[in-house]
Amino acid sequence: MLDELLARFQARDRLALARLLTLVARGEQLEAIRAALSPKNETTPVVAITGNAGVGKSTLVGKLAEVLRAEGKSVAILACDPQSPLTGGALLGDRARMPTHPEDPGLYIRSLAAPSGHQAVAQHVDLMIRMVAQFGFDVIVVETVGAGQGDIAVRELADVVVLLVQPESGDDLQWEKAGLLEIADVVVIHKADLPGAERLESQVRELLSLPGCREIAVLRVSSAKQTGLTELWSTIASCPRRSTLIEPDGQVLLRHAQQVLAERFQDRAGSVGHVVDRWKRHELDVTQAADELLHVLAR
Amino acid sequence: MDNQPPLRIVLAKVGLDGHDRGVKVVTRALRDAGFHVIYPGLWQSPESVVRTVADEDADWLGISLLSGTHMTLVPRIMQMLQAAGLRHVGVLVGGIIPEADVPKLLAVGVARIFGPGTPLGEIIEFLRAQGSRTHA
Ligand SMILES: Nc1nc2c(ncn2[C@@H]2O[C@H](COP(=O)(O)OP(=O)(O)OP(=O)(O)O)[C@@H](O)[C@H]2O)c(=O)[nH]1
Ligand SMILES: [Mg+2]
Repeated sequence: MLDELLARFQARDRLALARLLTLVARGEQLEAIRAALSPKNETTPVVAITGNAGVGKSTLVGKLAEVLRAEGKSVAILACDPQSPLTGGALLGDRARMPTHPEDPGLYIRSLAAPSGHQAVAQHVDLMIRMVAQFGFDVIVVETVGAGQGDIAVRELADVVVLLVQPESGDDLQWEKAGLLEIADVVVIHKADLPGAERLESQVRELLSLPGCREIAVLRVSSAKQTGLTELWSTIASCPRRSTLIEPDGQVLLRHAQQVLAERFQDRAGSVGHVVDRWKRHELDVTQAADELLHVLAR
Repeated sequence: MDNQPPLRIVLAKVGLDGHDRGVKVVTRALRDAGFHVIYPGLWQSPESVVRTVADEDADWLGISLLSGTHMTLVPRIMQMLQAAGLRHVGVLVGGIIPEADVPKLLAVGVARIFGPGTPLGEIIEFLRAQGSRTHA
């Protein structure tokens, strides 16, 4: 069944893409799907839009998509909303703020639930990005959850990270505390139609002028008034690709290795758990348990 | 449904009706019951609803109508779902539907109709019992 699905995907069947994304979101068939894709297409730009809840991420992503469509570029949006840690339920409402062009094959919007905790994006988004890229979309936009946590995973999967901040009452720079500035390549003073935008811009510029800061573009955008949107896209487009920038980094390799291991041994989770239980019950000493584990994994 | 992956349901408000309180209440209840609820917003056209269901690979579509346009809009959506290769998607209708129209809607393939006073628990029970249509 997976083979048939993959064949339809290769033939650019949109329903097959949608179903494969569901499988990946559930963590099913990851290895087989990964294997069926060609190597990562480094030429498709991946833009992450991040920032606190309510800062206007979805609205801006929608406007950005329209700018891109007007330029003839097709867009796939992977929009993440948080999943409840208690029930596993989720309200995926990002697309309600985005344009609906049901007749336009060049716009794909997929809502994803991100596990609670420190994760800013849904699980296996890296693989989903490869899938929509291979399907043929020209630009990929990932909306993170608005949890306000600097998640370095976002930096790893996107070429350009855009941080949205908005004029707020008081001097409370929540996003600064959450370490969001560290992961940004572009800072957008969003809702620039609201009072306080200029002051916020100078605050941000001041922060960025502190020693040790990277060169980061700052611009004012209003999705409501449709100002600054084309400038935003040209700024994003002129950012150097992460893939050409990344220094080979041991952490990245380790993280990927971890992921590959988790996928590869998923089917053996039960056996591993069994060994751990026996060790906890003192039926095995630690050396025996380690031997057993290696045995299970080597199978 | 403990180890089952969460069902994905699109809850759409179709037509020009501007009230979405009812949809919001159902949305909340389903989310709290562990469903993944995709909310595409107010004033959805049948075309955009079908596109949402397709791109989101939803198991279920809940359509809410208050405007008395159910006998034109619902059959049209059912037809478009079929044409789009989405026959497997279960469809629920919520709203004030006259008794006489209920069998007609069921005949075009609607799985169940929930009137305005339906206890939320009944909707949840129904969906749980039906399970996933896409990934059975
Ligand atoms: N004044 C003003 N309001 C805006 C602008 N853009 C978005 N908003 C409003 O900001 C609110 C939140 O917008 P969303 O796009 O849902 O924000 P979000 O960051 O995606 O929110 P989450 O996904 O919940 O984290 C809505 O009420 C929008 O109407 C803008 O440019 N100016
Ligand atoms: Mg959003």
